[in-house]
Amino acid sequence: MGQAILNPVLVDEAALTVEELAQACAVEPDWVVQRVRTGILLDCADGDYVAWRFTSADLVRARRLCQVERDFDANDDVAALVVDLSEEIRRLRGKLNAAGVK
Amino acid sequence: MTGARNVEYKDYYQTLGVAKTASEDEIKKAYRKLVRKYHPDVSKEADAQHKTQELNEAYGVLGDAEKRAAYDELGRGHQYRAGQEFRPPPDWGRGFGNGGNGGAGAGGFGGDAMGSDFFADLFANLGGGGRRRQAPPRRGEDSHASITIDLADSYHGATRNISLTVAERDAQDRIVTRERNLSVNIPKGVTAGQQLRLSGQGQPGAAGPGDLYLEIQFRPNARYRIDGRDVYETVPVAPWELALGGEIDVATPSGKVTVTVPAASQTGRKLRLRGRGIPGKDTGDLYLLLEVVLPPATSDKARELYQTMALELAFNPRAGG
Repeated sequence: MGQAILNPVLVDEAALTVEELAQACAVEPDWVVQRVRTGILLDCADGDYVAWRFTSADLVRARRLCQVERDFDANDDVAALVVDLSEEIRRLRGKLNAAGVK
Repeated sequence: MTGARNVEYKDYYQTLGVAKTASEDEIKKAYRKLVRKYHPDVSKEADAQHKTQELNEAYGVLGDAEKRAAYDELGRGHQYRAGQEFRPPPDWGRGFGNGGNGGAGAGGFGGDAMGSDFFADLFANLGGGGRRRQAPPRRGEDSHASITIDLADSYHGATRNISLTVAERDAQDRIVTRERNLSVNIPKGVTAGQQLRLSGQGQPGAAGPGDLYLEIQFRPNARYRIDGRDVYETVPVAPWELALGGEIDVATPSGKVTVTVPAASQTGRKLRLRGRGIPGKDTGDLYLLLEVVLPPATSDKARELYQTMALELAFNPRAGG
């Protein structure tokens, strides 16, 4: 029997709500709201959280934050610093790779 | 089905390098030390990613008192060794967990759709996942995995198959694991790191299944390098094509194109083809990097031509160096 072909949605075209991001990270929505309010997630987010939307990059960042917080019992600021550094390493490695440097 | 197949036994204590009598603190300390050592961003080890997955799996069990007790019970009276063929007893784990965590499924296998067969079989009948959750679930957990595609798939779109180990409920309401194959349409224009969301393809749960998120990764290809939506392609050219210039045909991810090489070009010259990078709202550019390839001097004719050039061109590439 032929296997059904699934049509996924690109997260960047249908960005996630606070609840959806929380579900994807297996945390409470309040965890997300707190990290947005303190500037750890989303660069600029004001007002009602209902309007906030999260992209692929936000989802990856949120999951890394969760992991650092859980693995090392880190507070949110320390986890954010670790993830910032990690993202910078990945960005620089990408540039090196694009420049043909192994 | 759970218990119906043999899997390789995993010694989680060995994975974390601790004794079976290790305290909670010792386990946590060992895990943190190793997970830092093998973190993919800092480790130079080739298998850092795999090692990290193994550490997460081991800590998911030994770092959870209930799962550790169940795992220890399994080894009591047996001398299983890592890698040894193993089948969990059918009634093993009955005294632990609640058999489904409120219907949330057998967990996310460490938060990802893919975990080891050993872990999946072992903990399919216990509540919760491989890691402790920070909040009770409302529906099945979302799963996360990655899918590797070719650059051409992003240019044109494609259908690709993936295989996942998943947990689900059988007719007796027991949670069992099985391999699940999915065919997924890859939308045109996706780039590395982007996430595809498949509704209802995550873990089962009382309030409906969770979603499956797939992270896009490109299969490495020595011919292409990718920076966002810009693509760099190495194009081999003959010395006379560089020196004299002219039109050359180049196979690119979007199809064959004819480009003009300016006369007196050098190897390493970059030709920009605007709008021929990865398609999208901000379509990238394609950069052709010209790389000279010398004809081998293996025939008399080739050697003669090189000798003529050597005599008549008076060219010294190190002059002035």
